[in-house]
Amino acid sequence: MHESQLRLLMFLQDLLFLQKEMQDFQVVEKYEEMGFPLDRKEKIEEAIREVTEQLDRDLYHRFQQLAKKYDRPMAPVKKGVCYGCFVAAPTGSKLITQHKDIIEFCNHCGRILYRTD
Amino acid sequence: MELKELFNASNVNLDLEAQGKDEVLLELINLLHLDEKAKEMLFKMLKKRENLGSTGIGKGFAIPHCRSLVVDKLNVAFARQRQGIDFNSIDDKPAHYFFLIVAPPVEISNYYLPVLGKVAQFCKISDITSRLDKLTKVEDFLKLLADSGS
Repeated sequence: MHESQLRLLMFLQDLLFLQKEMQDFQVVEKYEEMGFPLDRKEKIEEAIREVTEQLDRDLYHRFQQLAKKYDRPMAPVKKGVCYGCFVAAPTGSKLITQHKDIIEFCNHCGRILYRTD
Repeated sequence: MELKELFNASNVNLDLEAQGKDEVLLELINLLHLDEKAKEMLFKMLKKRENLGSTGIGKGFAIPHCRSLVVDKLNVAFARQRQGIDFNSIDDKPAHYFFLIVAPPVEISNYYLPVLGKVAQFCKISDITSRLDKLTKVEDFLKLLADSGS
């Protein structure tokens, strides 16, 4: 179950960031000055709803709790270090030693970890 | 940061084969050399971004862009498709020249919007489309970026 759940969470995080950008008047103004019309901003809500409906309820709840605490509830792990709190992940972490799609939380800050390498 | 510093032979394609908007996005994403899952996620994100308003800015240009966790630094690509693609551009004309810009949600250097702005400016240079049409190799494109001061 967790393989695609991590990707869904990452997608949700991207969409939430886009939503935040679209709520920032100055950023929207910059986009429009560059020539990008943003006439269907409301579509973002629909996309977020689609993704959250596919998420495991407990996992989504934990994501929401983390989102209350941190701007970024997810953090990349690079060279064994959580880039949310900059504390090393345990050496036995499956995310680090085996594959990218496992759900793991930082032991120190609790953020959901992902790899980009 | 100057645009010429961001492009190289591996992220430029002057003979795009795509025949539709989705195919263009996929071929552009391929130029970023990401793994398959990252490519899929990025494609979905770019599609969602397009839903908010087309990134076809007219005059034959489209600049699909988004922020995504699948990259850990600013990534760009350029492609040209001679026949033209319906990209729902603001002037309803086909798009021939495509810049892809992708950055992580948080960047220390914060290049994303400035680079997007520079690309948009580059697209507004008078006679730029005829100069892009004449390009035969990637090096010419890099030289064009350098000559334009972008």
